[in-house]
Amino acid sequence: MNKIRKINALSVGMALLVGVALPAYAASDKLTVVVTDEPKSLDPCDTDLSGNSRVMHNNITEALVNLSPKDGSVVPSLATSWRQVDSLTWEFKLREGVTFHDGKVFDAQAVVAALKRGQDPSLACEVGLATLKGIKLTAEAVTPTTLRIKTDVVEPILPNKMSALDIGSPATPGDGKTRAPAGTGPYKLAAWTPGQSVTLTAYDGYWGDKPPIKHATIIWRAESAVRAAMVDTGEAQIAYEIAPQDGTTGQDHAFPNAETSLLRIDAQVPPLNDKRVREALNLAIDRDGLVGTVFHKDAQKAMQVVPPSVFGFNPDIPVWTYDPKKAKALLAAAKADGVPVDKEIVIYGRIGIYPNSSESLEAIQAMLADAGFNARLEMLETSPWLKRLLKPWEKERQPSILQTQIDNTEGDAVFTLPNRFTSDGNQSTIADAKLDKLIADASKSTGDERKKMFQEAFRYIAVDAVNIAPLFHMVTIARVAKNVNYTVDVQAGNEIKLRTVSYR
Amino acid sequence: MSFTYFLKRAAFAALALAALMTSAFFLVRLTGDPVDLYLPVDASSAAREAMRVRLGLDASLPVQFLDWAWDMIRLDFGMSLWHNRPAMDVVLEALPNTLALGAIALTLAFVAAIVIGSIAAVNAGGWIDRGVNVLSQAAASVPDFWLGLMGVLLFAVTFRILPTSGFGGPIYWVLPIACLFARPFGTLVQIVRGSMIEALNATFVRTARAKGARDGRVTFVHALRNALLPAVTVTGDLAAQFAGGGGVVEVVFGFPGIGKLLIDGILKRDFAIVQASIFAVAVVIFFINILVDMLYASIDPRVRVE
Repeated sequence: MNKIRKINALSVGMALLVGVALPAYAASDKLTVVVTDEPKSLDPCDTDLSGNSRVMHNNITEALVNLSPKDGSVVPSLATSWRQVDSLTWEFKLREGVTFHDGKVFDAQAVVAALKRGQDPSLACEVGLATLKGIKLTAEAVTPTTLRIKTDVVEPILPNKMSALDIGSPATPGDGKTRAPAGTGPYKLAAWTPGQSVTLTAYDGYWGDKPPIKHATIIWRAESAVRAAMVDTGEAQIAYEIAPQDGTTGQDHAFPNAETSLLRIDAQVPPLNDKRVREALNLAIDRDGLVGTVFHKDAQKAMQVVPPSVFGFNPDIPVWTYDPKKAKALLAAAKADGVPVDKEIVIYGRIGIYPNSSESLEAIQAMLADAGFNARLEMLETSPWLKRLLKPWEKERQPSILQTQIDNTEGDAVFTLPNRFTSDGNQSTIADAKLDKLIADASKSTGDERKKMFQEAFRYIAVDAVNIAPLFHMVTIARVAKNVNYTVDVQAGNEIKLRTVSYR
Repeated sequence: MSFTYFLKRAAFAALALAALMTSAFFLVRLTGDPVDLYLPVDASSAAREAMRVRLGLDASLPVQFLDWAWDMIRLDFGMSLWHNRPAMDVVLEALPNTLALGAIALTLAFVAAIVIGSIAAVNAGGWIDRGVNVLSQAAASVPDFWLGLMGVLLFAVTFRILPTSGFGGPIYWVLPIACLFARPFGTLVQIVRGSMIEALNATFVRTARAKGARDGRVTFVHALRNALLPAVTVTGDLAAQFAGGGGVVEVVFGFPGIGKLLIDGILKRDFAIVQASIFAVAVVIFFINILVDMLYASIDPRVRVE
């Protein structure tokens, strides 16, 4: 009898525990999304950083235009149309009847204020430091729905760039960053509990279609296994950046994330200043052996540093084959000419730059050793890695190759090439006048001419200059609950399109 | 403990704190400045320089040190670069969570270790003792990271009786506490067992038995009180470690404590957060040490804290 009582008490206890243990599980208009990190800022001018943008862009705040995930073309958002008035002036027609979450009206003045704020050096906004870097934009409200933007240099892709400028309410403080943004998006910020979560609620006054999900919570967990488990238990419905070893269920969707992994070769230091050595390095890497093992099976072998969706991508560059014999022959030929091929080359890796980043370099180090290279691997934290990535570098330095990946969600080659492949670029290991001119001319031109010149620049880098060992166009994995409709696309790393999510 | 004693300890602690904060100032700066981490990789060198000027990192190290020392004297820890809020506000939000987590885990570990360690000591050499030995060795050596993930898989994913992670009501505390409990429990059981065996063989226990004291009284009053001191010493050390945060346990469970804050602060070179965290944790450790001294005195009247 006593035993039965004990068992009963235990059952009641477990039932109570289960009852209490099911906290925020699925309800038809509530959604929880788990990401890797807390956003650094929720200021509208900081959406150039993906961790901020995922929460903000097209959820809380919107830009004048969006880029199509299919082909990177510019599509309307807060602007309905745009045209180039002259080589230095663009005109945007703005959507009418749009209000900010704080009740203020969206008009050309609001865009003028947002642009001024985004470019204010004292605020150090992400958009001003990255996408809008190096050009001076002066905006003028011609009428409440007509906006003119003047540029100090020819800017043929200004509309693309405007997709990075999220427009906050004119009430956003001008002398500092805000933690309580008011935008025009389908969701308004309900709360940001530091260290824990950001909650959003649907904005009744939204100009577009009302989203099916009314309450969204964004939380962050550093561990991939925990993020994946949260979808299994129903604590979250969408989880991003699941590691390949955790993402093996039918709920895991791999999608291209606009990142291209590569090894950047320091072509200015012997023996890597010899083209044969750089070619040998490329031929020594068995890319087919890496994919499906340390890299995801859906990753595509890369021949250049942007994915096919980017304007200027060159489909005709041949992918490097795996040919260790030829690599050895090239090294031998270089050695015969007095190139110090036996010199130790450091492979600088960055811990966690992508899943299995260390393992991939260990494999590559072994492949290079097989081909006759003397390569040493050094895995770095982000801060010392950045010192290797960014200029200035010491004049007397060891020959090195650097693990990196480049993302291009903006859809045009100009967002990738100048900083990384011109003499003045802050990350460029190449100083080639011909390439400098090619990239500069391409950046100023439009249409087919622009495309051809960028394609030629990519060919020149891959075939003539060979200062990179391109690896893969990368994929990332999202786990989506079975009862949720959500299509992940190439922009998912920068944008959780909450308004497209619904329950089945 | 007299007030004078407390003041004397506080004065020594203040000196130690000043030395600690000075070392922290130089050590965090040795690891490089935060500008590259904070700005987008495409930012121009002019923008990087402007930020260095804005943060005062362009000045020479001695000048930066004097500025910083003046701020420290006024207990101004500055703004967190990453959180864009006063660093001490951020730290004081996280610290109570960590202290509560550590205090609960450690209290449970201490109490459980006393009971189980004493039982093992009373049955020294028997099968219960051997079982406890295996259990405590395992608990002391299992990595809390692995334990955390296994806990999530077992109790959240398989049995669905606990949430995977997060912060909220008591249910969210179960797994983090269980993970933090393991190592101190294992260590303390070994210590209690060892010192209890020693105490149980001591002459004063034999005297107590000879006087006719009952077994329970001999074990838990006569022997245990004497065997407790080493356990209290180690618990004090463990408490000081816990005050610095639950480390990976906080990371795995997304628990907003000072351990995760400090790790992120170091990785992101958020100097203000690192310095404010070190300061707050050092003050807590000072009080833990005072508490341990007071416990010594109350357990063993021969110990004088003057």
